[in-house]
Amino acid sequence: MYTNHTIAHMHSQPSDSRDQLPVAEEALQRVLAAMLPADADDGDLYIEHSVSESISLEEGRVKHVSASTQQGIGARVIKGEASGHAYTDRLEPEALMQAARSARSIADSGGNRTSVRIHRAASEVALYSAENPAASVDFSARKQLLQRLDAMARNLDPRVRQVFGNISSSYSDIHMIRMDGAHIHDGRPLIRLNISVVVEENGRRETGSAGGGGRFSLARMIHSDEPERLVQEAVRLATLNLAARKAPAGSMPVVLGPGWPGILLHEAIGHGLEGDFNRKGSSVFADKMGKRVAAPGITVVDDGTIAERRGSLNVDDEGTASHRTVLIEDGILTGYLLDRQNARLMGMQPTGNGRRESYAHPVLPRMTNTFMLAGKDDPADILASLDRGIYAVNFGGGQVDITSGKFVFTTSEAYYVENGIIQYPVKGATLIGSGHEVLQKVSSIGNDLALDPGVGTCGKGGQSVPVGVGLPTIRIDDLTVGGTEA
Amino acid sequence: MKSTVRSTHDYTGQLIDAALRAGAAHADALSVSDTGDAINVRNGTVESVEREDARGVGLRAFVETASGMAFATASTSDVSPQGLQKLAEQVLAMARISEADPDAVPPVGANHPTEQQLADWRLRHPESDAGWSLEEARDAALACEEVALSCSTAISNSEGAAASFGISHVVYASSDGFSAAYSKASASLSISVIAGHGDGMQRDYAWHRALHVSGLRTPDLIGREAAERAWRRLDPGSMESGAATVVFEPRIATSLLGHLIGAINGRAILQQRSFLTDCLHQPLFPAGVCIDDNPDHPDGLGNRLFDGEGTRTASHRLVSDGVLQHFLTDRYTARRLGMPETGSAVRGLTGDIGIGSANLIWQPGSLSQTDIIRQIRHGLLVTELIGFGVNSVTGDYSRGASGFLIENGMIVRPVQGITIAGNLKEMFAQISHVGSDLTWFGSSAVPSIAIEGMTIAGA
Repeated sequence: MYTNHTIAHMHSQPSDSRDQLPVAEEALQRVLAAMLPADADDGDLYIEHSVSESISLEEGRVKHVSASTQQGIGARVIKGEASGHAYTDRLEPEALMQAARSARSIADSGGNRTSVRIHRAASEVALYSAENPAASVDFSARKQLLQRLDAMARNLDPRVRQVFGNISSSYSDIHMIRMDGAHIHDGRPLIRLNISVVVEENGRRETGSAGGGGRFSLARMIHSDEPERLVQEAVRLATLNLAARKAPAGSMPVVLGPGWPGILLHEAIGHGLEGDFNRKGSSVFADKMGKRVAAPGITVVDDGTIAERRGSLNVDDEGTASHRTVLIEDGILTGYLLDRQNARLMGMQPTGNGRRESYAHPVLPRMTNTFMLAGKDDPADILASLDRGIYAVNFGGGQVDITSGKFVFTTSEAYYVENGIIQYPVKGATLIGSGHEVLQKVSSIGNDLALDPGVGTCGKGGQSVPVGVGLPTIRIDDLTVGGTEA
Repeated sequence: MKSTVRSTHDYTGQLIDAALRAGAAHADALSVSDTGDAINVRNGTVESVEREDARGVGLRAFVETASGMAFATASTSDVSPQGLQKLAEQVLAMARISEADPDAVPPVGANHPTEQQLADWRLRHPESDAGWSLEEARDAALACEEVALSCSTAISNSEGAAASFGISHVVYASSDGFSAAYSKASASLSISVIAGHGDGMQRDYAWHRALHVSGLRTPDLIGREAAERAWRRLDPGSMESGAATVVFEPRIATSLLGHLIGAINGRAILQQRSFLTDCLHQPLFPAGVCIDDNPDHPDGLGNRLFDGEGTRTASHRLVSDGVLQHFLTDRYTARRLGMPETGSAVRGLTGDIGIGSANLIWQPGSLSQTDIIRQIRHGLLVTELIGFGVNSVTGDYSRGASGFLIENGMIVRPVQGITIAGNLKEMFAQISHVGSDLTWFGSSAVPSIAIEGMTIAGA
């Protein structure tokens, strides 16, 4: 598993042309004044300009090249538990005033605030470079890389029938203007390279895929050995699956490998600790603050401050600086993930987790990079302790019902183990457990914490945001494995 | 051919002209404008109001090269003359980098609907808004929540009710002269409530969506459905691991249709990314199973006269008496597979053209769900599935489930925390019953489906 969480923080180098507001300050001041009633608790304008590019290879040809440019503004008024939002793609004054009036419709009072002056709030940290990550690599270079990776995959193994490659990049230029006129800017790069292959042997077809990325330049990705490593990984997984047998069905011990299996934390506890669900009492964790929810020795954090990670943010989408929030400390529940509205209503401090997919979506409390700190156990000893069970090192997606606490995640690379020895790979199986119980069944924590390679996307309320996860090798004494071999 | 109704948000003509001027051999374009309102209420008061005002244009341009046609796509929400010009130049620059495909099908000479067909369609599908004001939507959401919270003492909390409505205007035009506009309004009402307390909480929801509020289920019905679904889940147990017959209630059986459509997508077939690659004209389901894709059905939300390439749509019996009859195609996959065009191109503003169905209808059988359950000795009625454990290449299937244990023909108690697993190809073949309870969910209609020999994993 690719780990890269020790990159030093870089210093901010905002370019003058990019961090200028795309709408005149005076116009925005008028919009703010019209939008915010005197008794509003909060409110903001969120102005975004995003460009994204994608280039794909399939059937040996790079024939899908696409791009999109999206710009717009989100206006928001918050009063108590209520909020009004309006989004428009039109940046003309008339459209902005209309949006302001729509956002205000939740407030009945007529009084206006004294007008505010927009002023630049200082931003100190820069966890990533505020420039388009694709700027230095033209489409031809991306095409040539995909062609090279296609040839490489086919040369690695004659059983490779199909190769799919995609390079995508985006850059979002975001201006947030708070109720008090504070103007906060963030420029967010994001890249991702994905490779998947289909292999065939004796009429049996299987697939394998690998991906990586983060908030850094495409040039760095392309000139590293990461693309080649991803091809090798995709081919390895696909050919491994040719030998996969039926997975067992039933309850048994499971050892999770380091890195991406941290999706366990994202589903089992992360969503359940988001402030909105807890304020409303709809999460199974709502009454568990200060109580034991995990075995001693387990500490889980959500950390948006790791340089260049996919889930990292300089500031969240309300302008709150990113935090490292301890969710579980030595097995005890200690923290929630909070945006400004839920923090205020719960009498707590915002944690920098107020996120939105774009200006056209409301803010929700969301995760950033969620991982478990390393323990002391040797990963080899943890695997050796498994009498009969599953060793799962890679996963597809997962999902959780935060009210019952039931969560699932589905293996994409897993092995049946007996007497501590790997017997054979097993077909993809869904693992199911209870979020408030599963971490209490963790009996070993490895010393090999790794973060995922930069592929996570989290869905909530119809919105997708990039996230990260991480995990050391752990042993869970009892989890239900959804195979077909009962 | 020119459609006589032109949208005020139509930028397609300007875009195609700009693309041709910049050197495109062919081009097609989409112009979209969406406006909508959504209101969320919780515990009897308004929690949020959202107003959307979005627009965008998308362009696909083809250039001729020595080895065939190459193309690219791009979109923007900047519809100023400079924005459109920039988009056209961007697409052409990208198309010149893209690799040519000798089988590429540029947007010329498609089987477009005729002027008469366009006119007839507009007569039968007149433009209309969804029929709600913001206040009416709010009142519907409040009524829905009130019913849900009051119809059982087991209901302990609300996650809120939401009402939304809006209208989308779309114009499609291609450089061969075809241009047509349509608009689609819709309204929806949903509610989610919680029964029980603490570690014993259970949540469920209900929703309905219609083209106009006059077609919407009443707030009362939706509220009652959500509440009943939530309290019926209280005090669940697990289930023994082993083989069982699994009954998918209609709401859950829609996912089986989704897996089928994904696997008969012509692109997935071409790329060998489907477990049904070799199954055309083969018996895939038991005799008697019929599944239709109908682009013009009075109850469906997926009606369309032409697809994302301007190709005239038609009704297809995808599965007839258990035998798979069609792969779904756009123009490119039809050419590559040597198969008929089914008019199934699905188009976003940018990116690859996808393939999808219009309105799917799984023709009902004769037994009610209760009668089906009565014939099952040991089984599970599934009312919720979670997770993404479906491998589209192999058909391997393993998902988290909750529902109700069936013993000796009767529902015994709720279960959760289990998985159901199998292989979709085998699951399709092992369907033992198709219910009479055909139910519409947006653009698909499905009855209860019972499948024998699935594997349950429980505690």
